[in-house]
Amino acid sequence: MSPYRLLSPGFPALFLVALLPDFMPRASSAENKPPVSKITYEQHIRPILKANCFQCHGEGEKLKGNLDLRLRRFMVKGGETGAAIVPGNLKKSLLHKQLIEGEMPPEDKHLKPAEIALIGKWIAAGAPTLRDEPDTISGFVITEEERNFWSLRPVQSPRLPKVKHPDRVETAIDTFLLKKLEKAGHTFNPVAAKGILIRRITYDLTGLPPSLEEIDNFLADNAPGSYERLVDRLLASEHFGERWTRHWLDVAGYSDSEGYTTSDTVRNWSWKYRDYIVQAFNNNMPFDQFIREQLAGDEMVKPPYKDLTTEQQSKLAATGFLRMAPDGTGSGPDDQNIARNQVVADTLQIVSTSLLGTTMLCAQCHNHRYDPISQKDYYQMRAIFEPALDWKHWKSPASRRISLYTDQNKADAAKVEKKAKTMDAERLKLQTKYVNEVVEIEIAKLPKDIQDAARVARNTEEKKRTEAQKLLLKDNPRIKKASGGSLYLYNRKHADEIKKLAADIATVRATKPPENYIRALWEQPGGKLPATHLFNRGDHEQPKEILHPSGLAVLGEWGAGEIADNNPDLPTSGRRLAYARKITNGKHPLLPRVLVNRFWSHLFGKGIVTTLGDFGALGTEPSHPELLDWMAADFTDNDWDFKHTLKQMLMSSAYRQSSDRKADLNEIDPDNKLIGRMAIRRLDAESIRDSVLVMSKKFNDELYGKPVPVMEDGVGQIIVGKENKDGEGKPGKTVGLNGQEYRRSLYIQARRSRPLAVLQSFDRPDMTETNCTERTSSTVAPQSLMLMNSQFITDFSGHIAKRLQRDHAKNLPAQIDLAWRLIYGRPPSDTEASDARSFLENQQRVLPPKPVAQKPIKGQPSPLALDAATLSLATFCQALLSSNEFLYVN
Amino acid sequence: MSTNRRDFLSRSGMGMGSVALSWLLQRENSHARPFPGEKESFNLTPKEPFGRPKAKAMISMFMQGGPSHIDLMDPKPLLDKYAGKIFPGKIKYDNAAQASSTVLACPWKYSRCGESGMEISELLPHLQTIADDITIIRSMTTGVNNHGQSIFALNTGRVTPGNPALGAWLSYGLGNETDELPSFIVLKDPRGLPVIGVQNWSNGWLPSLYQGTVVRSQEPRIANLDAPTHLKGEPQRRYLSYLDQLNRQHLNQHPGELELEARISSYELAAKMQTAAKEALDISSESKATKQLYGIDDPATEEFGTRCLIARRLVERGVRFVQLFTKNQYWDHHGSIRKRLPESCKYIDQPAAALVQDLKGRGLLDSTLVHWGGEMGRLPVIQNDTGPDKVGRDHNTYGFSMWLAGGGVRGGYVHGATDEWGHHAVIDKVTQHDYHATLLHLFGLGDGKLNFKRNGLPVGLIPPTDSGEVIKAILKG
Repeated sequence: MSPYRLLSPGFPALFLVALLPDFMPRASSAENKPPVSKITYEQHIRPILKANCFQCHGEGEKLKGNLDLRLRRFMVKGGETGAAIVPGNLKKSLLHKQLIEGEMPPEDKHLKPAEIALIGKWIAAGAPTLRDEPDTISGFVITEEERNFWSLRPVQSPRLPKVKHPDRVETAIDTFLLKKLEKAGHTFNPVAAKGILIRRITYDLTGLPPSLEEIDNFLADNAPGSYERLVDRLLASEHFGERWTRHWLDVAGYSDSEGYTTSDTVRNWSWKYRDYIVQAFNNNMPFDQFIREQLAGDEMVKPPYKDLTTEQQSKLAATGFLRMAPDGTGSGPDDQNIARNQVVADTLQIVSTSLLGTTMLCAQCHNHRYDPISQKDYYQMRAIFEPALDWKHWKSPASRRISLYTDQNKADAAKVEKKAKTMDAERLKLQTKYVNEVVEIEIAKLPKDIQDAARVARNTEEKKRTEAQKLLLKDNPRIKKASGGSLYLYNRKHADEIKKLAADIATVRATKPPENYIRALWEQPGGKLPATHLFNRGDHEQPKEILHPSGLAVLGEWGAGEIADNNPDLPTSGRRLAYARKITNGKHPLLPRVLVNRFWSHLFGKGIVTTLGDFGALGTEPSHPELLDWMAADFTDNDWDFKHTLKQMLMSSAYRQSSDRKADLNEIDPDNKLIGRMAIRRLDAESIRDSVLVMSKKFNDELYGKPVPVMEDGVGQIIVGKENKDGEGKPGKTVGLNGQEYRRSLYIQARRSRPLAVLQSFDRPDMTETNCTERTSSTVAPQSLMLMNSQFITDFSGHIAKRLQRDHAKNLPAQIDLAWRLIYGRPPSDTEASDARSFLENQQRVLPPKPVAQKPIKGQPSPLALDAATLSLATFCQALLSSNEFLYVN
Repeated sequence: MSTNRRDFLSRSGMGMGSVALSWLLQRENSHARPFPGEKESFNLTPKEPFGRPKAKAMISMFMQGGPSHIDLMDPKPLLDKYAGKIFPGKIKYDNAAQASSTVLACPWKYSRCGESGMEISELLPHLQTIADDITIIRSMTTGVNNHGQSIFALNTGRVTPGNPALGAWLSYGLGNETDELPSFIVLKDPRGLPVIGVQNWSNGWLPSLYQGTVVRSQEPRIANLDAPTHLKGEPQRRYLSYLDQLNRQHLNQHPGELELEARISSYELAAKMQTAAKEALDISSESKATKQLYGIDDPATEEFGTRCLIARRLVERGVRFVQLFTKNQYWDHHGSIRKRLPESCKYIDQPAAALVQDLKGRGLLDSTLVHWGGEMGRLPVIQNDTGPDKVGRDHNTYGFSMWLAGGGVRGGYVHGATDEWGHHAVIDKVTQHDYHATLLHLFGLGDGKLNFKRNGLPVGLIPPTDSGEVIKAILKG
């Protein structure tokens, strides 16, 4: 059985509620301590009750104790045991008594003392409300406070604030940051040194280190505008697309395997989606179009999906976004229906966290406890995707590809095959002739009287041979076994001739146009539209009312609103296309804010909203709300121009400043919320590996294509390589990859169960959870061991050492200088150079003078064998690669 | 900390670089929660528990597949009476296709053991000898009747993947007693990974600092622990010292950057691990008698015995949590139970009992909680009714057994009971949450105080929607 029976029918409710422990959302936080007179039901009390009590007392299926807490007047009216509150009279207020005594909420859940105290004060003050309560309410209520939550309000275009030091304003962004800094009596740090700046921005935009030439050119460019020219050059680099694709793949949950079961089947053609993104980013595709294509690219292409243009192919590949969720439906899951519904839920999770900054997962089973998202909202959202992700008419993982074979390709292939077949028939004819000659040679060796009999026996079909014939052939095995394979024993020329013919035929067959697919999501055109039910407690076996596609209700006119079940003008339902258009119309409050915040976090180390995937009540509030809105508005006003928005950030003084901690500012702002300095950030996993490849000059900068395979080596580590296991499942001979092993980490196969060791240890997400909205950056000993002892690092340190020797033969100071500039992006100081030199000289003394051959690890390439001079240089490079100055960007 | 372990640490010179130490001290009491949304710093320095702890370390022997409690430690005489007859009640099967309702009596004999007279099957003769040191819980339930979910339930408190394992929680809550070894170590079976593989030692959504470090059962036991031949010894020492110099010069230019300091410390741990982990994992210095105790002299028990001995060595050196797994479905006896169950028992019995005896002999048992058990038990009826040699038993997560020893748990005690068929726990039912609540209590981390902020919410090992009761009856007086 599959071990991953993840869900039982009763499970979702249990699990999802588990994500919501008793916690007081910030909105109601008693820490904010409003003045007693200002406590109101809507602002302070309702959020506490909603999180802890509404499920039984207002929003649930049944009203427990007949008590509804959703309005003040309901509380005054009370339930079975009388009034819940008596305004102004705390002692007579049953609600307060029960909270104090821990009777409610039931079982082990209790409100925090501060929350109970706040409720007490509110009752004592006469239980004021902010405004008149509605006459009637039904079901899920969204209050004005909730509608006015900062992230759900329309994006404003704030006026630029006036600042005291306009000389530090490079882009509008700076005014918002400076305003706050100046208010605190501070300003930005000075601009970072040019050497630091080019290293910082080159890693941020390309994920690779700047080349020596690039550094030299930038340092030498003293003409005005040199920094802007640097920004423009990097934004135009094709490595830009690669770098930023990796960021997007994290939120999309990209993987080259299916996950869900332990078999973790390889997901062929997943990479077409990756290549689509690289292309989109390098071409600076407007981001609204980029989003639309990922949500509904298929609905923009007229079916049938045949003879596709490049543009059509691109639109279909974009829908790979909706095919990223772990998917066990093709790997024999225990329960196919559970597995399918899990894929739908995970896909919705990817969409909502990546685009809407909302975790909707819990609304699968019940109304969201903190955000104004109802269970109904969840299934209305699901209805948008249901026609393409129809769990009752499921498209198996193997059938999600669209062949790019055109009719012309097919005709060409058939033509080639026909030719090959003809050639093969001729080859066979000739071979038979030659073999018969061999047979005759052997027959001639026999006594005359049995020659005829032998010939007849040989020419008789094996099954029809008489016992005598069998015996005769058994005695003359050369006659029996003469074949194309044994030709070479008799006539080398004939054998070679046949072999050449076979090779020719293979060459001809190889001219067939290659098979090529796109992995995509699409609706069955003209198919019957499935009904989307609300699932009671998230259980697909308990379908309730049918719901229709719609965006989040709380967003009202700013959101996607209601979406037609079917667009008669399209062969598909048009639901996703309509939704995609609506959320990218520039008015959606969440999408542009979520996107610019994400871009910002990749440049500044954290977002203006630090919870990148949660803009709800449980996320954090923006540190600079006006800046976030200004950037969101600027982004949409400029036709969602990705590179324009990045450039706004990159040109700012904020980005260009140094990372030094100033004592006085550090005192009041240790976490750098005011952004009065640049953050020091660790290189991510990919940049570490890719840099080492670049520095060794082994780097293969080829773009696009099939992922480079990974395998398990003899000690159980996952390395780049082609699996070549022997009968016992142990790694056999190492298979060469012809330089593919030196490609960027972006192109290394990302299999959920086989994370590349060097990347995994530096926090590359393996996507065993759905997607990754925010990477962690850990500091653990296995990383150190990896940098101290792994064959990856020692080999590449050796390659770099050899490069140093090639570039500067017999010139140690020049080698040191080069290593420093390659790895740190700057020349060493005199002290550093002399320290390095004494390290190298001492190190050389303790190393064996002649190369020491090391025992290879099975599956790994043979380790480099180096002489003492090279080896000491290699350990020197390794020290630099292991050091913080390399591992961090400042 | 037990006197022994403290002594051991002082003997072994629990020294660390003075800078590292001052950094570590500075990070003490770091359980204070930072402002919402701020990135926290995490480390493995020892943390004070919230309450008074009984246990300091834990060794869990996870018998993946589901040992048959009925045949090992939960005797059901009624089955003998009904042997071969139709089970009169209702059975919850996992595999209905192979199900039968014919009762399968336990083919093995039970004896009363120790002063308490608790009954243990003849399949576990060594466990019989330590009866007075263990508590058997006969009323375990998870109620999720398949391997993956039930393992997740017992090892992470939730039935879904992606959550932190017990070892990650304890490491997060208490840090590590040694700076030379990881806090959470997994000793895996050379014959393969258990079901759900590496997720068994996941840090889940806790920082990756807390994830389990896997020790393989053949050399090299820890990846990258060995310096390449040409770097071993002096060259590497020089490399590390040069690296330290580079890092400190860099740090001087970036005062106040805790993460840069943390990385300097992590090289110190890594460097120490090269020898400390080697030393801890090398059992050659153990006496012949000790090796015999664990059955290392017998090919049948050598492998598991070695791992049990290593587990003791790790805990002795201050490692917080060690978990041993048996290979994929080693105890999943759907068929041929008469042959396969004795084999599985033979593999683990002597080493597991030896571990308890050895810890006790060294004064470490009181502070080390030992756990033995799988993710489920088995049904009283036959599965695969195709001949006496071929019969087996199907899954049963509604009532099964496991045992605990040391770390503040009573000896010679049997807790709870299943019904007279061994199918459902009926007396003092223990859920995974009760088990976890008890664990946390023993480590001084109870009362819902150990939480991690996830998506802005404090979340603990026991999901907030579930509750776990400390099993008071099994606590040592």
